[in-house]
Amino acid sequence: MDFSIRAANVEDCKDIARMIVELADYEKVTDHVKITQRDLEQDGFSKNPFFHGIIAEVPEQLRTKDGHTKVGYALYFYSYSSWAGRAIYMEDLYVMPEFRGKGIGKALMSKVAQLGLAAGCNQLNFTVLDWNKSSRDFYMSQGCCDVTTSMGYHCMRCEGEALQHLAQP
Amino acid sequence: MHFKIRPAKKEDCKEISRLIMELAVYENMPDQVKIAHEELERDGFGENPFFQCLVAEVPEEHKSKEGFTVVGYALYFYTYSTWKGRSIFLEDLYVMPEFRGNGIGKGLLCKVAEVGKKKECVRLQLSVLDWNTPSRDFYAAKGAQDLTVSEGWHAIRFDGPSLDNLAKEAAKI
Repeated sequence: MDFSIRAANVEDCKDIARMIVELADYEKVTDHVKITQRDLEQDGFSKNPFFHGIIAEVPEQLRTKDGHTKVGYALYFYSYSSWAGRAIYMEDLYVMPEFRGKGIGKALMSKVAQLGLAAGCNQLNFTVLDWNKSSRDFYMSQGCCDVTTSMGYHCMRCEGEALQHLAQP
Repeated sequence: MHFKIRPAKKEDCKEISRLIMELAVYENMPDQVKIAHEELERDGFGENPFFQCLVAEVPEEHKSKEGFTVVGYALYFYTYSTWKGRSIFLEDLYVMPEFRGNGIGKGLLCKVAEVGKKKECVRLQLSVLDWNTPSRDFYAAKGAQDLTVSEGWHAIRFDGPSLDNLAKEAAKI
């Protein structure tokens, strides 16, 4: 299938917001999505962006029933390992169901890896849900390591009241 | 015990590097540390820093046996949740053993949370090793949820040859 991968720009935020909700639906947590197209525009495309994005696009003749040509995305940011140095974190990777199996997901992830290496990064990190077998199989087939299983790392989070309490001076 | 928490300066990188190694020794993985103070200086104190750092300092009269006054640090960076928005990731939190039990670890953690709040971050995230009970208890007591246990999240990594191979595929697009 003919497709292209390019850097996201601010006009893509409407489609990115759409696909974020589609990914949340897939992960069975649609009601968890609180951010909007406007938040994405502000947080990803101002002077000190919190994230960067890449978009997978198909030509007009392959557009979806609803007329979309932007059919996948990856959202990433730079991070740091105090042991390994510069790293890149892939927050989201998503391809619309009807466009899967064509190498688009792999191409998006490879692009993130390439961007990371170009910026001097030594690791590409992300998370996956334990029940998400198709994604886990996909990542393992690309040669990654599950550091929760192999090294015992647990992902921890503070938010809401607990975070408010911590942040009090 | 009297202590001060302040933003790290470039000149602190040698001390931070020393403390990073102490933390790696505690986590039984000293051979995993590949970077030194030069990388910290370049990556944390340039035009577009990859991380931010706070250090905990004690006055001269409380210095460690070896003469150190920088006795703890917290290394963090900004991240993004496509569900909730701006977030902060605490990469390292460490206090030298002889200075524990004085509220320094809590002070560092709270300061990171405060910095995050000023930037409108709605989440603070970190990872902890499953066998590290004192740290797991410390974070649980502060209201942290263990997402690996409660929601099944696993941390995945590409590095070395697997990262190189993945990146090579991008040239074919």
